Amino acid sequence: MDFSFFVDSGWATFLGRFHPILVHLPIGFLMIAALLEISRRLGRIEVSEATISFVLFWGAVGATLSCMAGFLLSLSGGYDADLLSDHQWQGIGVAAFAWIAWLVKSDWIGEKIPFGPLFYLPAFGLATLLTLTAGHHGGSLTHGGDYLTQYTPEPFRALAGMPPLQQKTGVAKPIANVQQAVVYADIVQPILEARCTQCHNSSKQKGDLRMDEYALLMKGGENGQIMVVGKSAESDMIKRCLLPENDDNHMPPKGKPQLTPDQITLLSWWIDQGAPADKKVAELTVSEPVKPLLAALQDGSASLKEAESSLSAIDGLEVKAGNEEAIRKLTEAGLIVRSLSANNHLLEVSAVNASGFDDKQMALLLPLSEQITWLKLGRTALTDAGLQQLSKFKNLNKLHLEYTAITDAGLSGLKGLPRLEYMNLVGTNITDEGLKVALTVKNLRSVYVWQTKVSEEGVKAQRKAFPKININNGMTEASIAAFAKAGDSLYSELSTKTN
Amino acid sequence: MEKLLRELEYRRVEEQTRRHFLKNMGFGLGALGLGSLLGGCNEPNATNHSAQEGAQKVPHFRPTAKRVIYIHMAGAPSQLELFDYKPELVKYDGVDCPAEFLEGKKFAFIQGVPKMLGPQGRFQQYGQSGAWMSDYVPYLQEVADELCFIKSMHTDQFNHAPAQLLMHTGGARLGRPSLGSWAAYGLGSENNNLPGFIVLTSGGKQPDAGKSIWGSGFLPSVYQGVQCRTGGDPVLYVSDPNGISRDLRKNTIEAINDINRQTYEQVQDPEILTRISQYEMAFRMQMSVPEVMDVSKEPQYIRDMYGVKAGEGSFAMNCLLARKLIENDVRFVQLFDWGWDGHGTSAADNVGGGLHEKCRQTDQPVAALLQDLKMRGLLEDTLVVWGGEFGRTPMQENRNGLVMPYMGRDHHLDAFTVWMAGGGVKPGYSHGETDELGYYGVKDRVHVHDLQATILHLMGFDHEKFTYPFQGRNFRLTDTEGKVIKPVIA
Repeated sequence: MDFSFFVDSGWATFLGRFHPILVHLPIGFLMIAALLEISRRLGRIEVSEATISFVLFWGAVGATLSCMAGFLLSLSGGYDADLLSDHQWQGIGVAAFAWIAWLVKSDWIGEKIPFGPLFYLPAFGLATLLTLTAGHHGGSLTHGGDYLTQYTPEPFRALAGMPPLQQKTGVAKPIANVQQAVVYADIVQPILEARCTQCHNSSKQKGDLRMDEYALLMKGGENGQIMVVGKSAESDMIKRCLLPENDDNHMPPKGKPQLTPDQITLLSWWIDQGAPADKKVAELTVSEPVKPLLAALQDGSASLKEAESSLSAIDGLEVKAGNEEAIRKLTEAGLIVRSLSANNHLLEVSAVNASGFDDKQMALLLPLSEQITWLKLGRTALTDAGLQQLSKFKNLNKLHLEYTAITDAGLSGLKGLPRLEYMNLVGTNITDEGLKVALTVKNLRSVYVWQTKVSEEGVKAQRKAFPKININNGMTEASIAAFAKAGDSLYSELSTKTN
Repeated sequence: MEKLLRELEYRRVEEQTRRHFLKNMGFGLGALGLGSLLGGCNEPNATNHSAQEGAQKVPHFRPTAKRVIYIHMAGAPSQLELFDYKPELVKYDGVDCPAEFLEGKKFAFIQGVPKMLGPQGRFQQYGQSGAWMSDYVPYLQEVADELCFIKSMHTDQFNHAPAQLLMHTGGARLGRPSLGSWAAYGLGSENNNLPGFIVLTSGGKQPDAGKSIWGSGFLPSVYQGVQCRTGGDPVLYVSDPNGISRDLRKNTIEAINDINRQTYEQVQDPEILTRISQYEMAFRMQMSVPEVMDVSKEPQYIRDMYGVKAGEGSFAMNCLLARKLIENDVRFVQLFDWGWDGHGTSAADNVGGGLHEKCRQTDQPVAALLQDLKMRGLLEDTLVVWGGEFGRTPMQENRNGLVMPYMGRDHHLDAFTVWMAGGGVKPGYSHGETDELGYYGVKDRVHVHDLQATILHLMGFDHEKFTYPFQGRNFRLTDTEGKVIKPVIA
């Protein structure tokens, strides 16, 4: 029989996909019929044979419809042939035996069948039994063979001779040394297993494609090879992942867990590098975008160092909301108070419109000492006395003191601040001594001392002592003058050339 | 007085438009839900209340770029002369363009089969990062290690105005808010006396897309870019007229605002709140703007650093002003410089002497701006972005099939270079690559929307969640596109 029109028009698949819904009708009906029959025979309940016959009839109808839908679904392909064949014949068996069991009891034909009543129990029993096995095989076809028992707990696991349960299957295990990791086995395959092999494995091969083994992955599926080695952008496997999720050709199909952009980047990189089966990371060229992704796969501290630079000591810091009254008072004094971001209660306070802000007004800040992280007091009337009070602001992270009258003495109050990372001391009276004090701040990352009394030698010495801290003393007037002339000769040369 | 009252009555009647009539009728026929239907049509209503300047708004996460200076070279500078070094293209100089470059492509001016044009600059690597730059930009070489290049930019538009709109508003048509407006809307101003978004232009002409590229679109108009002049009064009519004292001016503005407030009570149009806050802002700006825009107090060596000449509005002046504005916590400063459209049609518009002249005007100020921000401790949290609206072709332009009088390149949307510095981007880094002739991005292509998503990310916003409701749906800068370019983030 030629079903091609039916298949091509999509009707086959459309109707076929009702199979997983329809199958539950005969399962339910036949089971309840069986239970009724057993209970009736044990004399537990009062139920007429006609009732059981009625349930049996609808079970047989359901089984027949399921068989038809199931056949249509099988036309879409991609299922393990042996398993499918078993399931198909068992399903047909269910329908056939259910009809037999019903027929021999039915009023209008049952009596015409010789030895009819003898067939009733065997047929009924077989229909019930086949319902169980067909159901199980159907489940295996849809979800994969080990779906049911994958998470069998101990001690049953050991009793059944199964290997110990893996922690969180499908999540890449941390790699001890990413440089020594085999790219396919340690990086690519775990991604494929998490996102692709559910439908492309030994028991279910959508599009005739298996992605659970290297050789089969390279072989491709019904549309040929799925990758162009060395060219991820032309590889079907990558292109499909990048299609919009609504596109019919998008993979994984809509609604299934999707690949993350990082995972696609890693797969693309592997294909670009020739999709090797057994090369290690160290043997391949690692491009810039891939570096952080590889680092993230690695277990341990080596990768954390890389990420550290973008993190701040205030990330993840939790404080209670600042006192509204205190915020209002600050605002009235002309200061700007803003939240740092929506995910915390940290505050940013700026005196950019309050050049008259002085030591006395520091008291206004105190009620918010826990919340204030970024503080801009540059170009105000602040002096050392006021600066001392900042020692109570344990969450201070960025501090602007540029062009104020503060001196070395005032900085001592900042020493113990654990989260202070940025200090702007441009245009103040601090000296080499003050810089030394500033550098004792534990988590300091950058300090700006342009236009101060800090000497060039002092900066050089401290840069050696604190290589990780960015000590910026800017440019001298002479170096600025030299910079301003840097391109003069070149521009005049180019002008003569082009004119 | 009587005249004033009549005027007021006239205005009130004028407000009573057909839409108001329908809306009021909607209350009468409440059961029909007519009112709510009309309410969705950007009708001024109570939910559109965000016009108050400085109303507290908060980024989604900790920003690394608190302020932005966006330098737009209008007309589109040639990446092939400045940053995208293509030694292969030298060999192809004068050779017919390969057919595959032309198949199915449309260009603004190129017709038939053009010739390839080799790079006009001499390239070398600079800084510890080994950034490629040409001798067109001798000053920028000095700050090579601060820069983060994106060499695989691409866009959808090959004409200036739509491409500029796409670059700054996320859409090629009119009506969307600009990047700076989104920033001002989302982050508010950090200085009560200055607007959150200031625009400075140079180069003799305005950008082709006009003021829409710093417009506020459907956001309350209080968030539009405030354009300042670089010579004379920075903002026209902001200073008091002769014979009017500041106190009198203050009383006048208060009286006007009272009337406006009453009107707002009546009609609830959020644009009235905008008008009120603009009057107030203008009054404060009378003091603050002349002060911040006055470069005479800057020491001579700083003015020399930028190459500023006394009393001359110029790109150099705008860079110095940008630093001063940033120093005063203006959220978003946008510089537009006109004259980068190197077609080869004239002595000014070409990628030889003409481009060289544009670089001479702008290279030193840009490099000085980065140096200056850095030593003041401002570059860490100020993002500087430099770029045009698209790129230029590796082919020489042959407008109308003719040989052009000067070396020129046509508009090109498949490859151009943008660089960023400071504000949490990776310094001394280059992202993406073009093919060996610089025609098409072959690695890590970055669309305009991706760049916008990244800039918003640096400012603390998830570009997918940063939206504004308009005409029944939530709009965002990146529309429905855009991916944050993670590798460029430090």
